[in-house]
Amino acid sequence: MTEPTPPSNPILGLSKPWVENSNSIWLASTISLYRNVEKFMYPSKLSSDRQKQIIGLVGKYLFNEEGLTGPSIVLSENTSPLEKEYLVEHFLSSYGFQHAHSGEAFIIDQTGQFLATVNDHDHIRLKIIDCQGELESTWSRLVKLETSIGKSVTYSFLPKFGFLTADPSFCGTGLVATVFLQLPALIQIDDIDEVLDKLADESFLITGIQGSPSEIIGDVLAIQNNYTTGVSEENIISGLRSLTTKLLLEENRARKSIMHSQNPNVKDQVSRAFGILLHSYQIEAVEALNAISLMKLGVEIKWISGISIAQLNHLFFNCRRSHLMSFYGNTIAQEEIPHKRSEYIHKALKEARLLIE
Amino acid sequence: MPLKPEENNEFKVPERPLECTECKKPIAVRYTEIVGETVTHTSMCADCPELLRRLYGLNHEGSSLLPGETRLACGECGTSLEAIRVGTSLGCNNCYEVFGDIIVAELIAEEKIPIRVANNKKHPSIHIGRSPGEIPEMSPSSRLITLNEALHETLKIEDYEQAAWLRDQIKALTEKPEKKDD
Repeated sequence: MTEPTPPSNPILGLSKPWVENSNSIWLASTISLYRNVEKFMYPSKLSSDRQKQIIGLVGKYLFNEEGLTGPSIVLSENTSPLEKEYLVEHFLSSYGFQHAHSGEAFIIDQTGQFLATVNDHDHIRLKIIDCQGELESTWSRLVKLETSIGKSVTYSFLPKFGFLTADPSFCGTGLVATVFLQLPALIQIDDIDEVLDKLADESFLITGIQGSPSEIIGDVLAIQNNYTTGVSEENIISGLRSLTTKLLLEENRARKSIMHSQNPNVKDQVSRAFGILLHSYQIEAVEALNAISLMKLGVEIKWISGISIAQLNHLFFNCRRSHLMSFYGNTIAQEEIPHKRSEYIHKALKEARLLIE
Repeated sequence: MPLKPEENNEFKVPERPLECTECKKPIAVRYTEIVGETVTHTSMCADCPELLRRLYGLNHEGSSLLPGETRLACGECGTSLEAIRVGTSLGCNNCYEVFGDIIVAELIAEEKIPIRVANNKKHPSIHIGRSPGEIPEMSPSSRLITLNEALHETLKIEDYEQAAWLRDQIKALTEKPEKKDD
């Protein structure tokens, strides 16, 4: 599908790191580091003049940062609600930016992988989204950025508490790492509870996508470190790698078992998902995301042809509200969105064929 | 996992416990107030300062303070102990010095520190890891170790297909050993 000329807006024109992702399970991972600057009160207590100083300071150092490609800074008072929602969707943020008020700022770069929020809870929250399953090297990249800024600004730090954050439950490493895995097979054959019980570990929290604690959307489980303190960054990352590898193996096993048994219930679910995506006249995001996950499963099991996993991953990110609205140049009315989403999906899937007889 | 959902939940994945309307702790007390024809329900946690305030009135001395505590506030930013008890963010670095013990106790209560570290009373520091300026190096073998462990497991259960999948990944990593991050 040819996309309209990308808008010149730095946020709505962000390049999409998921375009090349052909992994059917590993949707994305995000890693964040929360930091505050010494001698400044935390953002909630900071006067607007001092907030501007922080924005200037962080902006200045990030703009000279070799690790970033053409960074731009957007003040939150100049950010529309659509752009804020776009950032949340793009970076799979677990909390919204809608409340961001003046004195806060977003810094992004042209790779579409980097986001820094300034004065949002903490002075600096650096974040990288990766869609290639590269947890370790993503963390290294982020740490390089963080230490490079740290040469110019002094971070708030106490040996007892580590790096200090406005919310003490993030102090210590200030590191929040999340892996988003799509596990339709385990969920379809109802093995997910057993698997999670078996692999249970209080070091990690499992929620739905975008921080929704109980609602699993699109079969995506977000696996995140529970502790930022009392554990080293290396251990957080390797623990996360270990847990996600085990989940990947379980999901692969479940997929094989569905394929061997040609499980009729799953066949039915995948066929229905195919039908919904190709024949709905209007569709809500959650229903679409759930069906896309089943489509991906169908492609893996060779029940569906004519569409690749990478294309379906692309669709997964792009059919959410603000991405869809931005695709249509922000010209669609609220009530038209479900219909436009159907239209968008029909075009994306026009080559897809259901091979189930 | 720390959050234990109910049996009839569709998945055993997380249900956020009901939270106190004042702070973010789990609910322990339901408070119903009847004034004339108005009935108000409030759900609160066990040590909610709001509960004490409702029971003893606004002017109750030391309303939110536990026995033995004094009216603490940070000298730098004015954040009070009461504010912290209801989950307000800290205001500045000095808050960590002023409320240090309380912060540690809260982190332990919220299970935000590994038990091993929480129980280690001799060690005054809860932070493990680098200080500002230190650049940690992720051992390149860390991911290999994980993959090798997984490979070992799959071979034990004679799942050769998955073992091959893991071997491919190990091969990919060892063939271009150094950093992809530059």
